[in-house]
Amino acid sequence: MVTAGSDVENKRNRTGDVERNSENRSSVGRRRFLQAAGAGATVAVAGCMGGGGDDVVRLGATYILSGFASLYGEAAERGIEMAQSEINDNGGIDGQDVEIVVRDSEASADTAIQQIRSLVEEDDVDGLFGLDSSGVAQAVAPQVAQLQMPFMITHAATPFVTSPEGEHEDSVGNDYVFRDSNSLAQDIYGAARTAAELDATEWATIGPDYAFGYETWDYFQDFCAGLGVEAEFTAEQFPALATSDYTPYISSILDAEPDAVITPLWGADLTTFIGQAEEAGWFDQIDHTLFSVGMGTDLASDGNPLPEGEYASTRYDPFVPDTEANNTFRDAYYEEHDTLPTYNAEGAYRAVYLYKEAIESAGSTEADALVDEFTGMEHSGPVGDYQFSETNQATVASIWGTVSYDDEWESNVLDPVNRYEAGPDELSEALGDSDLPTGI
Amino acid sequence: MSLSSLVPLIGVSDVVIGLSLGSRLFLIAVGLSLIFGVLGVLNFAHGGFYMLGAYVTLAFVTNVIDNFWLAAVVGALAVGVVGAVIEFAVIRPLYDRVDADLDQLIVTFGFVLIIHETVRFIWGSGSYSVEPPALFDFSVSLGGSSFGAYRLVVVGLAVAVLVGLWLFITQTYFGSLVRGTSSDREMASMLGVDVPRLYTGVFFLGSVLAGLGGALSSPLQSTSPALGDQVIIDAFIVVVIGGLGSMGGAFVGAMLIGMMQSLGPQFISAGSIAIPFLAMVIVLLFRPEGLFGGFGE
Repeated sequence: MVTAGSDVENKRNRTGDVERNSENRSSVGRRRFLQAAGAGATVAVAGCMGGGGDDVVRLGATYILSGFASLYGEAAERGIEMAQSEINDNGGIDGQDVEIVVRDSEASADTAIQQIRSLVEEDDVDGLFGLDSSGVAQAVAPQVAQLQMPFMITHAATPFVTSPEGEHEDSVGNDYVFRDSNSLAQDIYGAARTAAELDATEWATIGPDYAFGYETWDYFQDFCAGLGVEAEFTAEQFPALATSDYTPYISSILDAEPDAVITPLWGADLTTFIGQAEEAGWFDQIDHTLFSVGMGTDLASDGNPLPEGEYASTRYDPFVPDTEANNTFRDAYYEEHDTLPTYNAEGAYRAVYLYKEAIESAGSTEADALVDEFTGMEHSGPVGDYQFSETNQATVASIWGTVSYDDEWESNVLDPVNRYEAGPDELSEALGDSDLPTGI
Repeated sequence: MSLSSLVPLIGVSDVVIGLSLGSRLFLIAVGLSLIFGVLGVLNFAHGGFYMLGAYVTLAFVTNVIDNFWLAAVVGALAVGVVGAVIEFAVIRPLYDRVDADLDQLIVTFGFVLIIHETVRFIWGSGSYSVEPPALFDFSVSLGGSSFGAYRLVVVGLAVAVLVGLWLFITQTYFGSLVRGTSSDREMASMLGVDVPRLYTGVFFLGSVLAGLGGALSSPLQSTSPALGDQVIIDAFIVVVIGGLGSMGGAFVGAMLIGMMQSLGPQFISAGSIAIPFLAMVIVLLFRPEGLFGGFGE
């Protein structure tokens, strides 16, 4: 059951805590002790009420479910529901049903941390996953280490959460944080490879005014330098998140007359930007626009779609690889929701299966056992085959293609599409002398 | 923050965009200024009224008749009614309290939250866009850059509102009552002016202007529950710069802030939204009463 964490649900969960705590008493570790200390009173009260049978694996997730990027959370919930019902219909995880509590991070680091603490300390979850924003992920990663609870990031892309602490001043990677989707470094490596093929010399950017916007621009410039792309970087604009009127920023970029622009705008911001860019004649004046988060919302959005002929990346392509796993997932999703699956749906869907595989292989839901299982794990899902690197980053491909409309699916797709292998060797070679970490 | 260019290129479109941003700000700031100038109420909920105007317009265009102008009028009037009801039912009982200013501030802030959550409940937290009226749904190319023709319409309408409001305040009987009550409420009351009714009328008018601002701006920006919060800060800056209670000041202040918002990104690549705040600090330091002062002066 996917819930948004209502009071009724929480109460039921707390009642369930008692049963599960007594079951796992033999494996009480430091994490369980901290949980008990944090939620002691609650558990005591719940204990008086008497616990019922609660043979479930409980996972906690946090996504953006409200505000400018709520589409992402909605897509993730769809993926979660699909994985959950598939698993529960087929014997569950080691015979136990999986239950997933989804909470709204509101795109805020403080809220996400509160939700995660509550999921661990009150809902007694066995594992965590989610996160849509790099800024939030950066703040959450150290908390996860403190809670000693595995966290599978399925969307937030900053390479610094899979770059071991100490490698760079912003690095916050640790043993408990994993990512099953591609990182900003992998994504922008593909952007630089795409740029190398284009007839464009002068480049500009317009991105959100926080870590994600700046990191995209920094990595793009360093990858271009490392790959020998002939490029000058002539203009940059970083409007605040959830800006309702981008026209002054659009106008400033147009005045600089670049040949091409890379933009990591996302969520409703991207939709707003595209409409206002069209009005300003952007797509007539700029030869190429690269949307690094383009396919994240466009597939699900009925607002301004990405213009055909421009370039976009995705972290999962519903048509490539042409495998049974991918085709089955895509068709089932389409049948249920009448739209192609976005990468956020696929990333969340896969996270549930990753937990299933780890728990069944470890024969336990103990946090450190799951961390051991995830470390270096080889896995396969709709996205294809991949392995977790030494820094807990999935070695998935960087996928960039040309936006084109597909009549059969009534949706934008990437066609033609390029998959660039983006493992540790490729990224570290392409970053050359850069100070930026590969995050893989 | 870094310099994006040492010699910024300011085009015709930058100026038109600045004027349209200023026009939008004028429509909300002039209502805020009018209400403060006459009633002495600093209406925090004014941003919420602006947002509500955009949402009602959106709902009307989507669900009733696809006629933008009619929707804008309905949006403005609906917000006016909401404002009048709030003034009558909640703000009026507070006028004679000892700490009336503080109570009014808290009550109107409460309505910021109520309006925000109501909108979120009805329309969700996503964002919507409204198409400009078909007649003006084209781009104008000037000096190598282009902008939507509808922006010019918004500028024209803002000027029309300024002139209309000025004529209304200075040339009509109701206007003279407004000016008289604004100068001395007790004297006006003794002379037979029905002050409570006049207050409700002014609050209605100020709210209509906020709703009209939101309605006319809806094709220029995305409409989301955050809209009101963003715009009220800018509107406060406008009235501080222009002078609290000054109609001309609101116009000049709004156009100044609009131009700063439009041209700011030409000079710095991030953080240009801080420029209006700097301007406000400078005005407060050197001309604390604002560039203009007193409603109708």
